[in-house]
Amino acid sequence: MSWSLARKVSAALIAILVCTMMVTALFGFFKFQDVMSELVRSRYSFVAFTIKQKVEDSLNLGFALRQLRQVQETIELEKARDEQVQGIEIFDAKGEILFNSDRGRIGASVPENWLLPLSAASLQPFAVLDEDSNVVGLPLVNNLGKVEGAVVLLYPTGYVERELGPMLWRLAGEIAGLVGVFSLLTVMVASVALGAVRQRLHVMEHALLLASGGEAPLADTAAVDEFDGHFGEFVAKTREAVEHIKASTDEVERLDRLA
Amino acid sequence: MKSNALTGLREGAMRLDSSRSLLIRLLMLAVLVLVPPMVIGSYRALDNFKRGLGPEMDLKAAAIARDLVAQLERAVGFGIPVDKLVGVDEFFAQVLSANPEIRYLGITDAKGDILFLRGALSEQLNDAYRGRSGRALDDSGLKANIADFVDLALPVHVRDVPVAQVHVGFDQDYVAAQLFGIFYDIAVVLVVSLIIAFEVLLFVVVFNVSGPMKLVAEVVAHARRGDFTRVPGITSADEVGHFVRIFNSAMRQVDGAYRGLMAYIDEVRSGHFDREVAGQVSEIADRVRFLFRFHPSGAPLVLREKLSSDVRLPLFLFIFAEELSRAFMPLYAQALPSPAGWLLTPELLIALPIAVFMAGIAVGSLWAGAVTERLGSRKVFQFGLAPAVLGCVMSGLAHGVIELSLWRGIAGLGYALVTVACQSYISKTTVDSNRATGLGSYVGAVLTAAICGTVAGGVLAERIGFGPTFFVSTALILVSGWLLSHLLAVVDHGAPVAAPVPSGRPLLRIFANWRFTVLVLFAAIPAKMALTGYFFFLVPLTLWNSDHSLAELARIMVLYPLVMLAVSSQSTRLADQMGWRIGQVALGGLIGGAGILSMLAFDGTLPLVIGIVCLGVSHGMSASPQLAAIPDICWIECNRHGRTQVLALLRTLERVGSVIGPLLAAAFLLHWGVKGAVIGLGAVVLAMAAIFAMVAGAYGSGPHLETEEDVP
Repeated sequence: MSWSLARKVSAALIAILVCTMMVTALFGFFKFQDVMSELVRSRYSFVAFTIKQKVEDSLNLGFALRQLRQVQETIELEKARDEQVQGIEIFDAKGEILFNSDRGRIGASVPENWLLPLSAASLQPFAVLDEDSNVVGLPLVNNLGKVEGAVVLLYPTGYVERELGPMLWRLAGEIAGLVGVFSLLTVMVASVALGAVRQRLHVMEHALLLASGGEAPLADTAAVDEFDGHFGEFVAKTREAVEHIKASTDEVERLDRLA
Repeated sequence: MKSNALTGLREGAMRLDSSRSLLIRLLMLAVLVLVPPMVIGSYRALDNFKRGLGPEMDLKAAAIARDLVAQLERAVGFGIPVDKLVGVDEFFAQVLSANPEIRYLGITDAKGDILFLRGALSEQLNDAYRGRSGRALDDSGLKANIADFVDLALPVHVRDVPVAQVHVGFDQDYVAAQLFGIFYDIAVVLVVSLIIAFEVLLFVVVFNVSGPMKLVAEVVAHARRGDFTRVPGITSADEVGHFVRIFNSAMRQVDGAYRGLMAYIDEVRSGHFDREVAGQVSEIADRVRFLFRFHPSGAPLVLREKLSSDVRLPLFLFIFAEELSRAFMPLYAQALPSPAGWLLTPELLIALPIAVFMAGIAVGSLWAGAVTERLGSRKVFQFGLAPAVLGCVMSGLAHGVIELSLWRGIAGLGYALVTVACQSYISKTTVDSNRATGLGSYVGAVLTAAICGTVAGGVLAERIGFGPTFFVSTALILVSGWLLSHLLAVVDHGAPVAAPVPSGRPLLRIFANWRFTVLVLFAAIPAKMALTGYFFFLVPLTLWNSDHSLAELARIMVLYPLVMLAVSSQSTRLADQMGWRIGQVALGGLIGGAGILSMLAFDGTLPLVIGIVCLGVSHGMSASPQLAAIPDICWIECNRHGRTQVLALLRTLERVGSVIGPLLAAAFLLHWGVKGAVIGLGAVVLAMAAIFAMVAGAYGSGPHLETEEDVP
């Protein structure tokens, strides 16, 4: 495939267009994912916070965490409210699960890294990543300031992609369509924009072909720029050279025949 | 038909041997192709994202409303009337501060009268609430748009009797406001794309059209006077290549006819029995040779031209790659584990990668010029790529600051080799008349790459992290290397010249020239100290400590190359017109130092913006005049050792300032904190600039010859 000027320019611009749109789309997606994840995390943090409040109210009445049987119902109710919630569990400071929306997990231990935020000086909400789940949690503190354990809520990673996948794919399709349309436009407009170059080269080629055949006009003194002026003179000089050499050859031939 | 052949040239006014008119057309095309899809795409994305986030906002509002309802029902269940509840306002304040996306919280009675409201004005909501009083709400509540808010109302029941409603509201434009930050990033991507498009199109036009046509114009200029000794050596397969083939076939036709004639004449001269005929054909040969010139080698000489613009795009990509880490290098060093000790304080360790990189450049610059003279630009460029790539990729993989510093030093070495190779190439492909244009092309590529690299690096690092940004840099350096190897292989490079290596000792006598020494110590070195110590090191740290994101940091830092680009072109013209070069250098130094010291007068980001802008003005004003003043200041030395050697010495010496800058700033940082370090460094730079300004009056004007008397 020969690479015409229009093709070269189109290829360069289309490559830049594709890269630009890809980078923009990726940045847009990352930003959207950030905002969406933050919103989802904050919602589930709030749900965990409401459970924490209920549990701490009971703790403040002097009950031990292990004794708060009504908490099991609360977390099961919250889990039932949102099908995206994978689980809610409450564990003590040693990591033993005391209450879990999946009752089969009661008595098991939570991963070690879930306990790390509980030993931190500032008892802030925490978020950890656990295989296929995002975990948001809040420490449970009694009115004496002792950390009794934590409440954590698990929701799936890839929530954004799963919930909004079709929308994102549709958007990706729209962007791909835009790239396609503007690529086509690039090819057409590049061809038009370079038309003047092609035309000028064609005219010059034509002048050269005529000059080679001894038909070219003499230099056009009204040329638009220095190059045109020089080219006109060049064509004329080429024609003159061709004619002169031809005439000289004829003369040599004539002299050669003089015997 | 034939009469129209040349007049047709006038139809399009576009010059083919100049890139300007064609480039303008293609740039318009680039804008047309890049801007509308970005705008349409961004608009569609925002619309989709808003729709995507809407349900999540509803869920969040519902979760909060449900909790409020539960608490209210509990309180009212204890027999407390809703309007007598205490502490509701404080409770609402807590919830609102913990959930910034929620704009207001409210409670209305069964008639729709507002009992409690926080975050909005009653007047904004009263009418809407009263208007729908009496409407029964189920447990899922009612969502409605009121003024600029989205309101979710949930009923509060006591023994199945609705007694109140809880209202949770958020801004309709909250999602758009959250996503708006991305538009800065999109604007950055668009601007960078347009600049890259400009560089690529400039390359396409120069390499494929105006460059070859300039060669054709050169051949035409000779051939129109009858000189058919050369033909342009263009082999491309495009329209220009096609034209050149026809052009060359016309040239070769003339050349062939001439050679045929001469062969015939030789044959007649040597073979004809009649000496008179032999004499006559000799006269014909002389006449043809008098009228036309052909190459004596038997064929026209094939011309291949090297253009200074050949290296512009690869150089742009290379500098772009290196500048990607500009905005975050100290932050990256800060984030890596560091073996701090009594000598290597944490502050010093953060500054170390920048200082070592600069030291690498200084060391590389010392011998890069001589190596380029011996091996040629292409080999040195390729040779320089190895440390540049290695340094870059390993910087991204570094596990500690010391390791990072080592790799930055190696990258600096590569940087020096590559940039010197490019400068040397430009220098060799230009003559005195177009050298300024060639070097202007170099400076243009460097500054536009600095703009793109700085701003894109910040955005990129924020999205993908520090390490992966170095890998993007590596990929760009490799593309740059591939391009340059390919481009420099296309042009005939000629045999490398074994240049004599200048002896260092005699050149060192230049320090006896007080004008040169003062210029180096009090103008060149402080300028670089300000650049690396303040701009490269302290500015990113200060902005980062002020809670600016990486992208914001980069957008502020890009002011420096932007201002410098704007000022330098004007200042060069001013320096040439007024001949006030030393004055400009002095004034530039004072502006830079004073700008940094604006930290004394203002708080927050403003003094940094002032400092960066002033530094851009300072360096834009003084960089070119500083170099332009050297031939006058060092007239004797330039004549003795060559201007290039003296300029190279100046560039090497000023890099001492580049190395000292971050280390000095780190020392100040250790003792006085970030603000104190900025003020301390600004004071040092201003004091040195003031000394130079005081001495500047004694420089005089024109070439200084008095040092000649001192030289034995």
